[in-house]
Amino acid sequence: MPVVTLSSDSHPLSREIAGRAATALGYDCVDREILKSVAERHDVPETDLHKALEESPSPFGISSKNHARYLAYIEEAVLAVLLKDNIVCHGLAAHLYVRGISHVLKIRILADPQKLAGEISSGKTPSFEKASALLKSRERFRRRWSLDAYRVDETAPSVYDMVISLARIDPDEAVKSIVETTRYRKFKPMTYSLKCLKDKALAGKVRVALIDRFPDVRVQADGSSVVVQTKALEREKQKRSEAIRKLAGEIPEVAAVEVQILPDIFRKAAESFR
Amino acid sequence: MERQIRLLLLDDEPIVGKRLVPALAKIGVETESFTDPEAALQQVARKDFDIVVTDLRMDKMDGVEVLRRVLQKSPRTKVIIITGYATLEIARQALAIGAFDFIAKPFKPNDLRNIVAKAARALGYKIKDKLADSSSAHGDSEMEFSDPPDVPGR
Repeated sequence: MPVVTLSSDSHPLSREIAGRAATALGYDCVDREILKSVAERHDVPETDLHKALEESPSPFGISSKNHARYLAYIEEAVLAVLLKDNIVCHGLAAHLYVRGISHVLKIRILADPQKLAGEISSGKTPSFEKASALLKSRERFRRRWSLDAYRVDETAPSVYDMVISLARIDPDEAVKSIVETTRYRKFKPMTYSLKCLKDKALAGKVRVALIDRFPDVRVQADGSSVVVQTKALEREKQKRSEAIRKLAGEIPEVAAVEVQILPDIFRKAAESFR
Repeated sequence: MERQIRLLLLDDEPIVGKRLVPALAKIGVETESFTDPEAALQQVARKDFDIVVTDLRMDKMDGVEVLRRVLQKSPRTKVIIITGYATLEIARQALAIGAFDFIAKPFKPNDLRNIVAKAARALGYKIKDKLADSSSAHGDSEMEFSDPPDVPGR
């Protein structure tokens, strides 16, 4: 059965619709509850994981390095759960990293703008102008956040298989539409799509194994072979390759590791000025 | 009387047929291999096949068209698409039209054997899998196919 990822401009709304859709489908619902176990596993504060999903890196908040690390931890955990199938996932930005998988149905729920403006203004009903400005600012922030974190604009409808506006469609109808859409043959898991998801999950696992030492690391997996990309200076190449091979090779599912070292032009330039 | 699974394999690269026919014979599948889509469809018109495995990108006709025509002639046939150019859109399109499964090249012969076994089960054949883990990389798993309980059109 397909996997459903649900995202929304309103977190309480996506929780409500995801829960109802999961019940109607008989699927498990995966949400931010998972962050507790992620925090325990990696010994990081759970609140920081929540922040990483909500905030951009900043000098007064989460550093860029930790932001990337926390998102990698979340991604790894979510991908491992999605492999089990029959899942509705929301609130974990899965729509941004589970891309290109044909049996993952990606849904965007848009809240009624007036209600959303009230939600953002802590229950007060703002004027039309104020509400409009609030929503625009929030949308700009989410666009920037998703582009920085995953190079995907989460506010673009083309990211999703279905966009439902709750200003026009009732929640009951939205749940019904989601349930009906999961029954389309095109969203059935197949050998190809299951392999793509498995590859992504393994890449996520390898990245987590490497990210503490190599924060810029990029990983792709194909079966049991992984390709790791990182930047380094010429003199660091060999040592770095060996360290990556060793760390990645410790993961049981990995049979072969190819390391591609790209020249670190910024560090090279900085060193040449010393 | 023992009946074998009848499979038609279509790929315009002859090497694919050369490698896969013996691999499928190992699990008792009678395979006819074609490199020309027209010739393959003529054979489909003459004979009933349980399973058709077709490449997606071929010069004369694409695999989606082959899929359409095979299902038009024989809706019970399970069509498996193989391709080196897999994308989310093509995979969804193939499944929406009625493909049984979709697998990206390169794959191991055992990967295809597992899908063929799944298709055979879906057709009602009882399969005795001699391997505990049929997805092992040994590539020479042995499966036995026995008669389906009721095969329409035969």
